[in-house]
Amino acid sequence: MLASFECTVDSGVICTPEFVNDLFEGGIIFHVGDFAVTRIHFLFFLAAFVVIGLLYAAFRTPKVVPGKFSTAMESLVGFVRDEVAIGIIGPDGAKYVAYLLSIFLFLLVGNLFEITPFINFPITSRMALPAFLALLTWVIFVAAGISKQGFRYFLDIIWPPGVPIAMRWLVGLIEVVSIFLVRPFSLAVRIFANLVAGHVMLSLLLTSGFVFITAFQVKSFVGIGWFAIGLGIFVFEIVVSVLQAYIFTLLSAVYIQTSVQPEH
Amino acid sequence: MLEGDISGSLALIGYGLAAIGPGVGIGILAGNAVQAMARQPEAAGMVRTTMFLGIAFTEALALIGFVLFFLA
Repeated sequence: MLASFECTVDSGVICTPEFVNDLFEGGIIFHVGDFAVTRIHFLFFLAAFVVIGLLYAAFRTPKVVPGKFSTAMESLVGFVRDEVAIGIIGPDGAKYVAYLLSIFLFLLVGNLFEITPFINFPITSRMALPAFLALLTWVIFVAAGISKQGFRYFLDIIWPPGVPIAMRWLVGLIEVVSIFLVRPFSLAVRIFANLVAGHVMLSLLLTSGFVFITAFQVKSFVGIGWFAIGLGIFVFEIVVSVLQAYIFTLLSAVYIQTSVQPEH
Repeated sequence: MLEGDISGSLALIGYGLAAIGPGVGIGILAGNAVQAMARQPEAAGMVRTTMFLGIAFTEALALIGFVLFFLA
């Protein structure tokens, strides 16, 4: 962006835009052997420490009548426990509350990093994080299914009992692909693509609007338009960040529920 | 006769086509959810949760198209 300030026709600086991947690279800070540590790794740890700090500060000294911050955190934990875990999985959903609360808070804080002023980078826009959390959810719901139903879990997926016998192989095949392949993939891609799209839009609109405005030429009026649209997308991204974290948690709970309580 | 080239990105057309289906789907879903909430306001919480679930599933397809646009 700073280079684009010199980008006028007579100064000769070429103004071709860089590749969009550059929006998602972090500045390399140091190397550990062959492995480069960038600012994104620090953001991962920062999100984790913010979550731990929030929970620790809220629940360190539990009182009968909690203060305002503890009440807010209690309503958040109560929401995940009552609406998501127990509301969807049922009474034995209480043992999944820790996992669901952890991923919900981590993804919420991580997504909200997209709009915090000096950070402006959603940590879920690097595929490693959503892919790992989707893999974790996948392992948990398969393990929950196996521990609840034994090997009948796989049998009921490959050869589903409530289906006419001529179509069982087809429905079984669809179920296998849908449950074991499409679910973790779509879980990861959904949150990844939402946050990537938001980051690209915010970066392009806000910085190009700013560059146009500070150029103080005729194009500044276009720049005001871009900047205004960028601010609108900023507000929209707040909603998208919270919603995508909630949807990841909700779908994890739904997948655990379909493993633990099969409809047939 | 004027001659010209049609040039551009096939990936962009592909994403545009891929976004039609989820757009229609989410519209139908949200419309039915609003109708359900109007008919029975007590069930609004359950309907809202299920609506978000359905929107997440259908939006995933549009977003897979968006990711593949960048891959191509």
